[in-house]
Amino acid sequence: MSEQSIHTSVPAELAPPGKVGRLSRLMHRSERARGYGLIAPALTFMLCAILLPFAILVVMSFWTATGFDFDTSFSLENYKQALERPIYAALLERSLWMSGIATVAAVVLCYPMAYFVAFHVHRHKMFWIILMTLPFWTSYLLRVFAWKVVLGYEGVINSFLISVGLIEEPLEVLLYSQSAVIITLAHAWAAFAILPMYVSLEKIDRSLLEAATDLGDGPVMRFLRVTLPLSLPGVISASLLIFIPTTGDYITPALLGGPDGAMIGNLIQKMFGPINNWPMGATLSILLMLCISVICVLFILLTLFVRRRIS
Amino acid sequence: MDVLDQLGSMREGKMSRRAFTRSLFASGVAIAAVPMGGRKVLAAPEDQATFFTWGGYDIPELFVPYSEEHGELPNFATFGGSEEALTKMRGGYVVDVSHPCNQALPRWVASDLFQPIDTSRLSNWPDVMPGLVNLPGNDAEGGNVWMAPFDWGQTSITYRTDLFELEGEESWDMLWDERYKGQLGSLASGGDAWWCGAIKAGVDFENIDTPEAFDKIAAVMREQRPLIRTYTDDTTTLEQALASGEMVAAMTWNASATLLKAEGVPVKFAEPKEGALTWVCGVMVHKDAPKLDLAYDVIDSLLSVESGKFMINDYGYGHSNAKSFEQFDSETLASLGLSSNPGEILNAGHFQVPQSQEWETKMNGLFEEIKAGF
Repeated sequence: MSEQSIHTSVPAELAPPGKVGRLSRLMHRSERARGYGLIAPALTFMLCAILLPFAILVVMSFWTATGFDFDTSFSLENYKQALERPIYAALLERSLWMSGIATVAAVVLCYPMAYFVAFHVHRHKMFWIILMTLPFWTSYLLRVFAWKVVLGYEGVINSFLISVGLIEEPLEVLLYSQSAVIITLAHAWAAFAILPMYVSLEKIDRSLLEAATDLGDGPVMRFLRVTLPLSLPGVISASLLIFIPTTGDYITPALLGGPDGAMIGNLIQKMFGPINNWPMGATLSILLMLCISVICVLFILLTLFVRRRIS
Repeated sequence: MDVLDQLGSMREGKMSRRAFTRSLFASGVAIAAVPMGGRKVLAAPEDQATFFTWGGYDIPELFVPYSEEHGELPNFATFGGSEEALTKMRGGYVVDVSHPCNQALPRWVASDLFQPIDTSRLSNWPDVMPGLVNLPGNDAEGGNVWMAPFDWGQTSITYRTDLFELEGEESWDMLWDERYKGQLGSLASGGDAWWCGAIKAGVDFENIDTPEAFDKIAAVMREQRPLIRTYTDDTTTLEQALASGEMVAAMTWNASATLLKAEGVPVKFAEPKEGALTWVCGVMVHKDAPKLDLAYDVIDSLLSVESGKFMINDYGYGHSNAKSFEQFDSETLASLGLSSNPGEILNAGHFQVPQSQEWETKMNGLFEEIKAGF
């Protein structure tokens, strides 16, 4: 941060005195102005692209739909319906549950990979990172379709099992089920688990590990008392990075979920599409955001607690 | 920078981070620049009209006259259901031509998003069958129409003749057959499925907007739901599943059965004893169509005999141009479930009846709940 601000002030000092000079002097003297100057582009973008649509969403969730038009008088009807009709709560719960499992699976499976590259690869680390993220250079949709091919009725798994002679009829449970969605989500977002965990593992000071060994910790205790707590920030950010977007995912359940694998994202999309009830869609989006926020806060508190206990 | 030098340093594993980024940047710029070189040779796609249509109509075969004249195809955008399309356009999406069906026509007109079609600008209009033009809500001022009819057909059951053991006559009960639990498929859009449910439940289309009708249809849809492998708006998914034997019967339009037969899959497009669901679809011009002249060329191309022959022969749909049927004998037409007199087919089945926006919203909401298992 400080290095960056020095860089930005260099051309200003070279500029001729006058208006620009005064501005640069102000920038130079006040740390706060410099800070605001630096975050201004991102802040403006956030205001226009995130806060404004969010405000519209909040306002709209208090409207009601009448045919094609909106009744813009304030009403809590949508929220009341969302609490009363079982479908909304059930889909919300199912989405949180499914993406929770997908997140845990992705983090648990990717942690060893990140660990391996951070601690046991000494040359060509960049090459390994590129290799691990290579599958994610293709489009998300393509990866979902690839899973459809793998899990399908005449897909890779079924053909293999039949040719080996383990089953006679193709397994139908593979595709169009909740497990298909969970498998695909866990795989499709794996890159978002590997990279943050790799970064936080890479940063760990190796002398701490040596110190732990010197003080008599075996490999398991050393991992639990030093490596794991120090890599927790990476685990937390990986979990959040996967959990938040997958809960609202709709393309994977739409293609692989079948009737039982639908998630709340599908319903929200339908609300803005064929059902044509935008206020209800807005309400569901906000409820989804609230649920995710609560879960994320609980999760962060829990990991902080765990970290304090074990370190 | 010297390429050989860089390759050498890479082999030795000594490439600096800066050099690596620089070569990445260079190759990125090079790749981005490649399409710009050849750009001017082609007619630019932004000069063409945009046709917003059902998946499967975005193919060159339907635009032979158009591409002969303009050197390129129109731009395509596709949708899975006409409600979705209308919602998108109400949200501000401007296209030149779109593709609703008779059931949606009055609501599309009422949305004030479309302009009447000046039929004198269409060279193929005199050959269009009048029975398809005279639909409820289709007259605009001055003898013009809102929707130029293009295709018509049925929603029925495509089933595998070798895998599905028929009990008695073909009937809608086939899609409610407990023996084939998990091997049946359905279109996801309420615009088809709900109406087929009404036929199955024995609800007359005139009374489809009554609470009793809603209860009756919802009951049969709930009964069907556990039997369905998947609901989808993507007909290719249904076709592939039928071809592989993953599904033995599915609710489809004419085209799926015709395409599968052409590939040698033993399927039949059922003629259910209760009657199939029938419809007429056509094209409408957006009020703010940016390429109005080209929009008329798109319509004319769709109404042409060339397109008609393709529609009948390859997709098995009816076409609105009377001359398209002259190429086929009545036997071929009958085997496709068509006739040169559309009235015969449309009235033999259950012809969709336009409904109010409230009905659509209520029906779609309820059907989504049922599909999700409630």
